Amino acid sequence: MNSLSDTEETKADPKISNSHDKPSKPKRRILRPLAPSTYLLRNLGKTIPLTAVIVLAVTLVSGIIAMIDSIPYSIRTVYKYAKEDIGITPRGDPSLLPGLVKDIQDHSPVPIGRVITCRVTSAVVHSIVGKWPFLMLGFNQDDMRYYTARQGARQIVGRYPEPGKPEALVSRPVAKNLGLKLGSIVLKPDDIDNYSPTPVKVVGIAETDRWFMMDPIEYQRANYFPPIDDAMIFAKNSEDQDRLDHWAVKRFKGQRPLVFAYFEIEKNTREMFATLYMILNVVIGALALVITFMMGMLMNIYQSQRLVEFGLLQAIGYTKKQLLRRVLLESVTVIFVGWFFGMILTFGLLHLANALLMAPKAYALDVFDRVAYLYTVPIPFAILVVAVTTVVLRFRKFDPVGVVERRLV
Amino acid sequence: MIQATGASLAYSDQGRQVFACKDIDIDVRENEFLGILGPSGSGKSSLLYLLSGLKIPTSGRILYNGADLSSLSDDQRSHLRITQFGFVFQQPYLLGYLTALENVLVSTPQDQDPDSAIEILEKLGLGHKTHRHPHELSGGERQRVCVARALRGSPRVIFADEPTAALDHSNGVSVVTLLNRLRGNGSLVMVTHDPSMLAEADRIVKLADGTLDNG
Repeated sequence: MNSLSDTEETKADPKISNSHDKPSKPKRRILRPLAPSTYLLRNLGKTIPLTAVIVLAVTLVSGIIAMIDSIPYSIRTVYKYAKEDIGITPRGDPSLLPGLVKDIQDHSPVPIGRVITCRVTSAVVHSIVGKWPFLMLGFNQDDMRYYTARQGARQIVGRYPEPGKPEALVSRPVAKNLGLKLGSIVLKPDDIDNYSPTPVKVVGIAETDRWFMMDPIEYQRANYFPPIDDAMIFAKNSEDQDRLDHWAVKRFKGQRPLVFAYFEIEKNTREMFATLYMILNVVIGALALVITFMMGMLMNIYQSQRLVEFGLLQAIGYTKKQLLRRVLLESVTVIFVGWFFGMILTFGLLHLANALLMAPKAYALDVFDRVAYLYTVPIPFAILVVAVTTVVLRFRKFDPVGVVERRLV
Repeated sequence: MIQATGASLAYSDQGRQVFACKDIDIDVRENEFLGILGPSGSGKSSLLYLLSGLKIPTSGRILYNGADLSSLSDDQRSHLRITQFGFVFQQPYLLGYLTALENVLVSTPQDQDPDSAIEILEKLGLGHKTHRHPHELSGGERQRVCVARALRGSPRVIFADEPTAALDHSNGVSVVTLLNRLRGNGSLVMVTHDPSMLAEADRIVKLADGTLDNG
C-alpha cells in the first residue's frame, strides 16, 4: 500500500460545535482507511469466523498430539524410578546373584554407591490406555530409607512399613493413581492384579513425584514364589548411573541374568511408538491439508466478495501489487492471530484437561509439549500459501473496468 | 494535455472484430469541461477508459503531456491515475466499511490530512455526514462523496463516466454543477447520454457507433 499517514483524530472544535451554521463533527478516530487492521476490525462478521476456524484447527491438531504424546510421557513418568539404579535378576537361579553383584562391583566403570538385595512382586497402576504393570519392591528397613531418599522424597506421611508385616509405603502419585490413603489396602487376596495372600495396608506415603511402592522384604520372602532375590545397584550420581546402566546392559547381553535399565525403557518406548507416530503424521498431515484447502478456499471466497472494492481501487490508481500486499497483510494478520489464539486455547484446554481429568489420577500430560505446538506451525504457512496463490491467480486477469462498468458486480 | 490520435479499441466477439471506438482523434485541453455525448452503446465509456489509461488502445495513440500511455507499464499508468486523475463512475462505488471522510481519503494515499477532505465534503454539502457510512447516505449523497473523492488532491483531469446515471435529474444536475465548480484548474471530461447535463460544458463532442460524429 502507499504509505498512509499514521492514525489521526479529528476533534470537534467547541466553537464549531456550538455554531448553528456548521454542524458538529463527532469525535471519531480515523484509522488509516486501507490499513489491514481497518478492514479486519470493521468487518468482524467475516474476520471472527475465519479466525475462529483457524483457532479450532490449531487447537485440534495440537490437542490430538498432546494427548497422544501423553502416553509415552506417562511411560517415562511412571517408570522413572528406574533411573536411579540398575536392576538385575538371575532369572530363576538364585545362586547366580552373589557372583553377578561381585562382577559388577569389581568391574564397574564408575564407583558403586550402594547394592540393595530386594524382592519384587507384580502389581498394576492405571493409565489413560488401561492397566500398566508395576512393581511392589521388597526392602529391608535401611534400604527403604535409602531408596526413598534416592527417589527425592521430601517427607514421609505416616511411617515406614515394619519388618515382616503386611504393610506398604507408596509414593504420592501411586496413591493418587490407585486412590490410596493411609490405611487403604493396596494388595489383597481377591485382587488378581494387586495380589497378596493377606491384605497389605498402606502405612506411609512418600512425598515425591516419582512412582514406587515398597513393602518389607521379609513379608515378600514369606508369601511369594519364586524364592529369588534380585539386586539393585546404585551409582553415586545420575551421570555415573547412566554410564553404569549402559555398561551393565552391554556386559550381560546374551547371558542368563536379566538387566533392567531406564535408558532401555526409553528406547523401547520410542521404538514402540515410532509406528504410531508415523500413522499420526499421516493423519495430521491429511487433516492439515484439508484444513488448509478449506481455509484457503474460504479466504478466497471472502476476497471474491470484495471484487468491487479491488476494482474500484485499481481503477482510481492503486496497483495490483499494492492490493495484493494489502490482501497478504490481512491474510497474515487473520492467520497468525488465529494461530496465536489457537495456541493459547490449546494451552488453556490442556491445563483444564490436566487439572480435571489427568492430575487427579496422576496421569501424565505435558501442557508445555513442544512437539504438539510445533506440529501446528506449518498450518498458518500452508493456509497463507493457498490463500495468496488463489488470490494472485484471480488478480492476474482481473480487469477493474469490468467492475466499474458493472460487468463483474 | 491529452491527445488521442487514431485511437481504436477493438475486442473479439466470437472470432469477429468489434470496435468499441474507432479512429478517434480528440484533444483534452487544460482547464476545460469537455462533454462527450452519445447514446447508449456508442462507445463513450470506452473512450473515457482510453483517455484515462484504464484501457490501452488496440491501435492509435493516447498521449498525456506528450507521453504515450501505451508505452507505460501498468504500475506507471496506475501512478498516473492516482496522482493526476480523478474518477467518478456511473455507480456511486464506495467502500462500505469506511466513512464518507475515509472514502475521500482513499484517493490520496500520500495525503491523509482529514481537514482538506472535510473541507471538500463541506463544499459538497456533506459536512455533517463525514462520519457516516455509505449505507447511511442517500444515492445522491453517495455520488457526492464520489465527487469529493475525485476532487481530492486537485487532479489535473477528472473523468466522469455518466455520473448522473443512477440519480434523478435534479440530483444529477447538482452533481455536475458541483464537479464543474470545484474542479479548480483541472479539466473535466464527462460522458453522458443526456445533453442537459452538459449545459456548462466548454465543448461537446458527439459519439455514435464508436466514432466521433464530426457533423
